[in-house]
Amino acid sequence: MTITMAKPDEEVAGTSQWAVETHGLTKRFGDNVAVNAVDLRVPRGCAFGYLGPNGAGKTTLIRVLLGLTHADAGTMSLLGYRVPKHRDKALARVGAIVDEPRFHAHLTGRENLELLANNREHAARGRVGPSLERVGLSHRADDRVAKYSMGMRQRLGVAACLIGDPQLLILDEPMNGLDPAGMQDMREMILTLVAEGRTVVLSSHLLDEVQRTCDAVAIVDRGSVIRQGPIAELLSGASLVVQVECSDPDRARTLLENTSLGAQTNLQPNGLAITLPAGTSRDVIAEIARLLVEGGISLYRLQEAQTSLESWFLEVTSRLEDAG
Amino acid sequence: MTTVPNTATVATAEAAGLSGGPPDHRGSPIPTFGMIRSRVKELRKRRGLMIAMALVTIGIPTVFLVVRLLLHAFAPRTYGPAGGYDIYTSLVSGVLYVFGFIVAATLGATAGSADLGDGMFRHLVVTGRSRLALYLTRIPSGLAIIVPLVAVGFTIVCAVCVFAAPSQLSYSGVNVPGNLSRAGLESWATGHADEVVCNFGLRIGPSTSQSASTILSVVNNVPCGNGPGGGPVFSKGPPGSSTQPPPSQAQITEAARQIAGMDYSDYARLFLYPSNSLMIKSGLWLELEAVIGFMVGLGLGSLIGQRTVAVVLMIVLEVVLTPIFSRARIPHLLNLQRAVVGLATAHLAPGGLPVLGGGGGGPFGGGGGNPGLLPESTTVAVCVIVAWLVGWSVLGAWRMMTRDA
Repeated sequence: MTITMAKPDEEVAGTSQWAVETHGLTKRFGDNVAVNAVDLRVPRGCAFGYLGPNGAGKTTLIRVLLGLTHADAGTMSLLGYRVPKHRDKALARVGAIVDEPRFHAHLTGRENLELLANNREHAARGRVGPSLERVGLSHRADDRVAKYSMGMRQRLGVAACLIGDPQLLILDEPMNGLDPAGMQDMREMILTLVAEGRTVVLSSHLLDEVQRTCDAVAIVDRGSVIRQGPIAELLSGASLVVQVECSDPDRARTLLENTSLGAQTNLQPNGLAITLPAGTSRDVIAEIARLLVEGGISLYRLQEAQTSLESWFLEVTSRLEDAG
Repeated sequence: MTTVPNTATVATAEAAGLSGGPPDHRGSPIPTFGMIRSRVKELRKRRGLMIAMALVTIGIPTVFLVVRLLLHAFAPRTYGPAGGYDIYTSLVSGVLYVFGFIVAATLGATAGSADLGDGMFRHLVVTGRSRLALYLTRIPSGLAIIVPLVAVGFTIVCAVCVFAAPSQLSYSGVNVPGNLSRAGLESWATGHADEVVCNFGLRIGPSTSQSASTILSVVNNVPCGNGPGGGPVFSKGPPGSSTQPPPSQAQITEAARQIAGMDYSDYARLFLYPSNSLMIKSGLWLELEAVIGFMVGLGLGSLIGQRTVAVVLMIVLEVVLTPIFSRARIPHLLNLQRAVVGLATAHLAPGGLPVLGGGGGGPFGGGGGNPGLLPESTTVAVCVIVAWLVGWSVLGAWRMMTRDA
């Protein structure tokens, strides 16, 4: 990923290639560093996952970006506008859900959106109806929010983002509270929004969902971004895992560990999982098969496991824990 | 979830929010009409709060007056008229003044803290709208609710007190028509000379003018009581003073006219119903009190971010602290006491309203001050009120601008 510095004035607005850009962004709560010198670059027009375990500082970073709380150090820009200096211009085309979406419970969904639309540009009022329709809440738009389920409030939160016709959507755990069908709908909507040319930043700990939805990710842990880039690029650096079903897994394990392949083996109920270092050639798979057969072990199945974002994430974070 | 075609065009130029449509002054601290309108709607839709406010501001005086109207209608000899000057002053200074403040403070505290409590504040901040504008929106929105509410309650009180007022005043035990001018009272006195001479007080000074001595002569020699055919005849003068012949009817009539003229200043303080002037001044004064309550409640609610605590503090201020600081004279703390907004407001009360023990002498009245209140000039009172309004607004706005959302 190319790194370029954002120009400090608003002339770059709308032309910057980064939807979000931060340099050394830091936020502290007393002694606790919630966001630790984060350098983040989110390209325009993609779905970007911001991943991390609970308490990693995902929501805090989003709150700092949106001006909900101030940063202690660092610089940041949204859509090319430096914030907080040009916060009003930047946020004019940003929609966001932060934490659990909450609204005035005594108002209807439509009234809540109208209230928010009245704080935006004049045209936002005309987007209330289409936004509700888009998130599938038209039929309940005139019910009080107090009667909404968690999933419906989540959808209303997305509708609240859409009334500003945003170029950048920042969604904090948008899948929370959604049933499987709702998650599927949300996933499709995010992809549609990206197809329209918008940028979607998705904060989540649901790695599978992020892998299905996002083009690029950043991994955050203890306030720091430890990896960022396109998912395919990141996973290409992951370990190679081979699943083996054979007649004698214990002997196969001993046999493989005594070779120079550098394989780490792990006994599983249905066989053996062999983990090879990142960058290992796929020819090694054939070598494993040859070794096992020559060792007199009957081979029933030999399969390269698809590396998932989840396994890669766990691998990366476990390395960090080991280092710690 | 239905995916519908997106009608919004995402254009780079539009990203700046500068192309097409009216100019978007999102960073301006001036709230737009749409913001105010939607905030009014948000507050108005709080049904529980609105019902409670209406019950206190309109319901209590209405129920009180309706009960009095019914009682008077069914038993007019036992129960007096529902309205009148006394009822008016009691309701204005006893109910609308105190409850209006509390209701306004409750609304203000709600307006100041509701977005935080409901989790809407961050949605509003994310719109990019100036936080100061978000605060300032609440001022006209809340006032658009509380001012008419107080006005309705006050109008009901005025209407009943004027239209259901007693037809006659009781002055020195004599039923006298109300709201007479000096000439009118003198004219009425000539027709009721005996009652006036026998019952009205004499306001003769130490000087012994010719007319005063004539009046004294008449008063001392006029027969009062039931007279012939009734009870014993007695004169108003001291024992042994009725040595002169009884005065003529013309002398009695003239004496009555002069006595009425001398008593007019006392009589003029009694009214059948409040005057238009008093009602206008009282109305403005009540609205001032409501505005103060709302603004202070708004600032406090925004500052601490909680409605309940803010409302409790406001009630304590109005019901407990203000009466104490208005009456007690705490050595070395007199100037601090004068800084209590309730005392300042009481000093601006229209003359004739018994607020905190009596009417003030401020711009709404001129009643000559209230000896029960801690002395405070009108200028100081106005300064105290302005300081409270500005101070709490600044505090509330500052907190809203710096608060983590």
